[in-house]
Amino acid sequence: MTAGPYFGMRIPRLEDAQLLTGRARFVDDVDLPGLLHVAFLRSDEAHGRLRGIDAGAARARPGVVAVYTALDLGDYWRPGPLLVPPPPIPGLVFHTATQVPLVRDKVRHAGEPLAMVVAESRYLAEDALEDIAVDLEPLPAVTELEAALEPGAPLVHEQFGTNLAAHVHQVKGDYASARSKAHALIARRFHYDRGAAAALENRGVVAQWDVRAEELTIWDTTQAPIPIRNGMAELLGLRESQVRVIAPFIGGGFGPKIMMFYPEEVLVPWAAIRLGRPVKWIEDRRENFYATTQERSQIHDAELAVARDGTIIGVKDRFLHDTGAYDPYGLTVPINTQCTLLGPYVVPHYDSEFTAVFTNKPIVTPVRGAGRQHGVFVMERLLDLAARELEIDRVEIRRRNYIQPDQFPYDHQILFQDFRPLIYDSGDYPAALDKAVELIGYERFVGVEQPRLRREGKHVGVGVVSYIEGTGVGPYEGARVTVEPSGTVRLATGVGTQGQGHFTTFAQVVADVLGVEVGQVRVSTGDTREFNWGTGTFASRGAVVAGSACHAAAVKVREKVLGLAAPLLGVAPNDLVLAGGRVHRRGSPDQGITLGELARKANPLRGAVTPGTEPGLEATAYFGPDRGNAASGVHAMVVEVDPETAAVAIKRYVVVHDCGTVINPMVVEAQVQGGVAHGIGNAFYEQLIFDANGQLQNASFMDYLLPTALDVPTVEMAHVVSPSPLNPLGAKGVGEAGAIPTGAAFAQAVEDALAGTGIEITEMPLSPGRLFELLQAAQGGVG
Amino acid sequence: MIVEGSYPLPGSPDVIWDLLMDPDVLAKVMPGTKALSRTAPDRYEGTMGVGIGPITAAEFELTITLTDLQRPASYTMQIDGKGRFGFTRGTANVELASEGVGTVMRYRADLQVGGKIAGLGQRLLDSVSRMLTRQGLDALNRELTARLT
Repeated sequence: MTAGPYFGMRIPRLEDAQLLTGRARFVDDVDLPGLLHVAFLRSDEAHGRLRGIDAGAARARPGVVAVYTALDLGDYWRPGPLLVPPPPIPGLVFHTATQVPLVRDKVRHAGEPLAMVVAESRYLAEDALEDIAVDLEPLPAVTELEAALEPGAPLVHEQFGTNLAAHVHQVKGDYASARSKAHALIARRFHYDRGAAAALENRGVVAQWDVRAEELTIWDTTQAPIPIRNGMAELLGLRESQVRVIAPFIGGGFGPKIMMFYPEEVLVPWAAIRLGRPVKWIEDRRENFYATTQERSQIHDAELAVARDGTIIGVKDRFLHDTGAYDPYGLTVPINTQCTLLGPYVVPHYDSEFTAVFTNKPIVTPVRGAGRQHGVFVMERLLDLAARELEIDRVEIRRRNYIQPDQFPYDHQILFQDFRPLIYDSGDYPAALDKAVELIGYERFVGVEQPRLRREGKHVGVGVVSYIEGTGVGPYEGARVTVEPSGTVRLATGVGTQGQGHFTTFAQVVADVLGVEVGQVRVSTGDTREFNWGTGTFASRGAVVAGSACHAAAVKVREKVLGLAAPLLGVAPNDLVLAGGRVHRRGSPDQGITLGELARKANPLRGAVTPGTEPGLEATAYFGPDRGNAASGVHAMVVEVDPETAAVAIKRYVVVHDCGTVINPMVVEAQVQGGVAHGIGNAFYEQLIFDANGQLQNASFMDYLLPTALDVPTVEMAHVVSPSPLNPLGAKGVGEAGAIPTGAAFAQAVEDALAGTGIEITEMPLSPGRLFELLQAAQGGVG
Repeated sequence: MIVEGSYPLPGSPDVIWDLLMDPDVLAKVMPGTKALSRTAPDRYEGTMGVGIGPITAAEFELTITLTDLQRPASYTMQIDGKGRFGFTRGTANVELASEGVGTVMRYRADLQVGGKIAGLGQRLLDSVSRMLTRQGLDALNRELTARLT
């Protein structure tokens, strides 16, 4: 094992041996004696009134143990919690409508569960679904955002008398008066459509009720095991200590696996208690297209006011946000859009207003990027258009508008999704831009390569865009560090882990503080028995918030080590050094004691633990940042477009990223690479297509296209480091960065490659088919 | 989904009309029909099975209600099909106009499709429905030709 210090080093991931040899446990690996299996009957209709369900035949089928409809749930039937209440923005309107465990009176999107079958096997459970007779009166559906707000539109939730789910207006400065001073006004309509998170592993829940211990264990593919534990205890009338939620290894979270209290998540444990047998449900891929939350339809009408030299005077944006059939996650996604639009730029006047809209489509909650990509797309496209109109270079117009390194903290004067003011903590945007421009060879490409290739008949283009990612939001996370007599250091934290490398990065943080080998630190995440205070993995906050808590707990243990060792070794604490798993006198490495031995002494069987001290070498600590921090970066890509087929090949992809202090560059780079793959999917492949009746048209990977390894280039990366002053590590988040500006970079590069055709890209995602249509329209319909 | 077109048939509109109202003939000419019976003067019920892409045996309980009967010129069908692979419903208008010695049938169906067949078979729905329509009309043509000769 490499020797420390480990912070900042490319430590191979400690969890990989387990993952690569198939020894990691995922939810579907949980197999218990007497396990029952669940299948859900889901609505084919997107909107309909439920008149009745006859499950008699299904109940009579051999092997079926139980069939539940909404009526069978009794008092347990209740709408799910509002997970994120709206922030305190003056004048804000918000209509709460959260998902229900099983449809009782009205279906509001295709795939909503109507009944739950529990059987001896999944096969039997699925067969029994066909025995259930459902009397459902179809209702006209609303799927289009503008149509949904028209008078007389079918209502998703009648009680509101409207499909308006929320309305928010945030203002900085006075755009209306400022715009009169503009040299140019760039106004466009932008569309961004839905995609799926498409995690490798679908969702799953296994629950077991131990009748003797009166304890419920839930294995759940959740990103937030502790809120699920607390919520399930409350729902089931149990003490929190009676419920243990384990979020084991998870094959990708990306947002939809947050503490949703999905129907399946609340019903499986309930059935396990009721039936006295363990119960399992694993989502299949087709279910995932309907039952797992999605993102991200929005329509923006945006206007940019610029001065002659390209300086931004202000931006006005009015947008519609599709929240789907319910809005349990509040306004996180559209507020992220609203805030992220401002990007790394000085925008003196900003007038942004959005309306969230209920539609008969699956629920929208954050998916990697969580609304940020829309804001980036709108702003970057407006800047591209302004640059063209003002005949300023694309890179130059961005440089001219950056917040400068000496302007931090920089206050944008609006509220962020964490209810805190949108204040950027640190950054160096010009440095990132310079690096990206140099890495992609922008000047040479535009000046030499592109003209040469164009003469050869090749349509190549470059795109360079900037973005901010608000990351590392509160409220808090915690960690407990324990030194065992063996010398092993146990580290437990509450966040769930879905492949981010937590087992390695958290260990690196703790290993350095205690002077042990990184492999000596055994990390436990996502098990409420190990640690039961915290919120979860979201908003690119694991390393920042949980990482800082790990650090704080390790520092407390280090203090205990010093306090115990000082009298033993006969020196003052500050004359001690922790290294190599030992604490020793400074300058005399042989005069010391191993941490394991010290741990044993700290837990004596005779004698006394002095009042006011604690036994053992263990400490728990918490960390909550004052507010989120601002990670940032620049993406640049080179594409080649075949104008005959509208196929696009990404030739090069450069990311210069600033996530503050880097704990493990390899982990950061892998996050960025994965994010870019996600972003490329969102830009050119992935689109959930619904018809006017709310029917998803491409509910399988035959028709919903994911980018393959052949479509995703190896990202060339460089780092800029602007440490965050908001946490002791100086870290910022990186989990979503790769996916956020990809669409904007792609649009700019493709437009550049097709310069002269008159094509203008104002929508995402594209596809070869859609790009072909745009190209034909731009060329006057001549194919 | 819109399915529309026209098809020349031998015989007068009156002859064709009678055939189109006969459940035994309909069962023969509607591809995949496993059973069809008249349950009321203007109502037919039956079972139909079709294959659409990955769904190889989608079976539907089918109800067809006839409205706006203008013998022999036109009528409208309310189509309602439900099965474990989803549903289809909508209306179809049929017009019969005599042309020369024969008749031209014009049809236009506006159908909603939902469930698995919509989610998994979308790509193929248009071509499958065109193919089925063509098969049906060819069968009707054969039936007419057989009766007229």
